[in-house]
Amino acid sequence: MSDDRVTQLDRMRYTKNTASSRLALLAIVFDVLFFISLYKSDVDTYYYTILIGASIVYNLIFLLAAFLCSEGVKNYQVSYSWAMMVLGAGQILRIFIIPMDAHKTLVNNAPVMGDAQFTRIVIYLTLSAVALFAGAVINLQKSRALSAHLASLKA
Amino acid sequence: MAELQLHHLDKIYDNNVQAVYDFNLDVKDGELIVLVGPSGCGKSTTLRMVAGLEDISRGNLLLDGRDITQAPAKDRDMAMVFQNYALYGHMTIYENMAFSLTLRKENPNVIHKKVLAAAEILDLTAQLNKKPSQLSGGQRQRVAMGRAIVRNPKVFLFDEPLSNLDAKLRSATRREILLLHKRLNATILYVTHDQTEALTLANRIVCMSMGHVQQIGTPLELYDSPNNTFVATFIGLPPMNMLKVTIEDGKAKGDGFEVPLSAEDCAMLAPWSRKEVILGVRPEYIAEGGDLKLKVSTNENLGMTTLVHGKMGENTRLTAKFRSWANYKNGDIVPIHFTRMLFFDPETTNAIRKEGK
Repeated sequence: MSDDRVTQLDRMRYTKNTASSRLALLAIVFDVLFFISLYKSDVDTYYYTILIGASIVYNLIFLLAAFLCSEGVKNYQVSYSWAMMVLGAGQILRIFIIPMDAHKTLVNNAPVMGDAQFTRIVIYLTLSAVALFAGAVINLQKSRALSAHLASLKA
Repeated sequence: MAELQLHHLDKIYDNNVQAVYDFNLDVKDGELIVLVGPSGCGKSTTLRMVAGLEDISRGNLLLDGRDITQAPAKDRDMAMVFQNYALYGHMTIYENMAFSLTLRKENPNVIHKKVLAAAEILDLTAQLNKKPSQLSGGQRQRVAMGRAIVRNPKVFLFDEPLSNLDAKLRSATRREILLLHKRLNATILYVTHDQTEALTLANRIVCMSMGHVQQIGTPLELYDSPNNTFVATFIGLPPMNMLKVTIEDGKAKGDGFEVPLSAEDCAMLAPWSRKEVILGVRPEYIAEGGDLKLKVSTNENLGMTTLVHGKMGENTRLTAKFRSWANYKNGDIVPIHFTRMLFFDPETTNAIRKEGK
């Protein structure tokens, strides 16, 4: 291993994993963009369903969990990588619940969610998921490298 | 290599208040210079002028022969350590130490090596992941020093770095600064109002009062041969006793006491015959036994030494420092003698010295 690589690994003992942390925060930003683009008020009673309440509650949980993950991965904690992957998978899954359903449902012969809005929302959720997956993978790699480096220091 | 020259520096503020008058000093490479004096004497202002934090009203400042009088602080290649540490509370110790280099966009690996090296010198390696609030005052000051060390500046500037520490920690950190100076062989300008710090740390001391330099010399020179009554009383603890005497018949006669003068002192004081001069006696130049009588008012035992405060005659107050444990009571009469005396001109307050000294 080159001297530069060793120094780079050693630096991780004192520096935070800002890349993963920022990706988790970016995922929150995309999630917020998704959520503020989701609802429309002139589509009759479509949004008055139990799913809406669940989606709002899940979104609050997502925001909190993603923020906790952003703090956790700062310190190279592996468990937060798995949490981020679960959250990322959740974002993908969300595409197939309200957005997809609203896109398919017709009210007054028009879809509740038009093509443009649906595309935008899919992009936001996908980007949010990608940011979470990327952050999780980077944290996994870094934390494994750091663990190996610490073990070599002890030995 | 870092030689610093301060030529005729003046500091005049906008309201025409002059804080520093004609300051001249040549600092040699690797020298530790301590600027000492009471509050408001202009020592910190001088340091801030050197650092580039205050404009220089008149005079020149040269670093290795290069005139940096008008150079901005960032281009002076100097690092300053402040009394209040000036650490970033939200950053770890590592981040605090690396901060200035990060701002300069240095290679992170190079920064890392410099920070670890400085932490090793200052015994801070185990603290690198902590926040400043988790450290003691002494450790925080070491971090502030570490932040200066990583920059590898030509000159270190210390502005009363130990003033916020308690006595025990101050003593320990003082030793660390001394070791640091020996290890780095750095050129250091150090400001303090504590004469103990000045005496223990300095290669040379600059003693200041009211914006004027009173004396520049080694700690021993300032202690043994002060230029004037200000330096004589400022350096040394307890301060030197200043007694008004008249030189007459080979004696120094004061209120309620007479001290015979040596032939050498008689010759030196010949021009002051039958005139009043100031006799300076350090408390440690007073020993028990002899013809002089000290009427004790208070007695302070300090372990190895005893400070005895009292009077000779009606108005001559005197403090003596005896190298023993003494238990004198108020009103006791203690026979004493002076082992060494200095003389000062009462008009100019300058020291009266032998020709050529």
